[in-house]
Amino acid sequence: MAVFRWGQAWDPLRDLEREVDRLLASVSLSFQGVRFGRQYPPVNVYEVDDELLLTAELPGTRPEDLEVLVADGVLTIKGKRNGPVGVADDHYRRQERPRGNWQRSLTLPALIQEDKLSAEFTNGILKVRLPKAPTTTPRQIPVSDGSESV
Amino acid sequence: MSNQIVKTTTEPDVTTHDVHTDPVVFTPPIDIFETAEGLVLQADLPGVAIDSLELQVQDNKLTLFGRVIPNLPENARLIHQEYAVGHFLRSFILSDEVDHDRVTAKLNQGVLEVVLPRHPKSEPRRISVTSH
Repeated sequence: MAVFRWGQAWDPLRDLEREVDRLLASVSLSFQGVRFGRQYPPVNVYEVDDELLLTAELPGTRPEDLEVLVADGVLTIKGKRNGPVGVADDHYRRQERPRGNWQRSLTLPALIQEDKLSAEFTNGILKVRLPKAPTTTPRQIPVSDGSESV
Repeated sequence: MSNQIVKTTTEPDVTTHDVHTDPVVFTPPIDIFETAEGLVLQADLPGVAIDSLELQVQDNKLTLFGRVIPNLPENARLIHQEYAVGHFLRSFILSDEVDHDRVTAKLNQGVLEVVLPRHPKSEPRRISVTSH
């Protein structure tokens, strides 16, 4: 009898398996959306001596369509990438590359000299160099004995 | 900025490329659209320079391999990462309608564009019939 019950017990497990399969299938379907839903463009930040170096993957962007701004410790990059002119949507057999207008703002992890920012764009990679502001030397604050002045 | 790539006729040698030193290889996103003359393929290959790109046609297989050499100072320390740096590899099977000998390609700001023209329509050929 016990064996019979075990046999029965596997049935719900099979249902569970099927349910998990169904869930996984829906996860892989939305995976495309997750991938394209991530922040565009992807950005890496490096620290090189007393500089921050930001790199962003922006293939196919024209340098004149790129804008790099910095204000109050926030770096903003914005731009656009258009598809080829005169190609109707129904002429596409495959469309995987993202396009359109985009904008990103990043709070910089250190104080930088905002007037010394420089940027270059080669092979679809944007590189922004952000020299850090010189660190100020700690200032000693003299503490007087309060009881003496009374 | 755009350069012509000469179609190479040598054997594809994609598997031997520094697999041990840099094993990360990505599948680049692509677009394919139809034009009056044939097909155009565009692939995003950020960081790939003209001399580190290999494009090969063998039989009916088109293979693109783009090497990315990160041009960073040696003492660069990664403090925030949203993308990984790696090479790009993808291959395609070309249909018979593509004229393999007239495939051209150019690379501009990290985008590879491959033009795949169709075979020109051949004129009907008259076959003379002789009687013995």
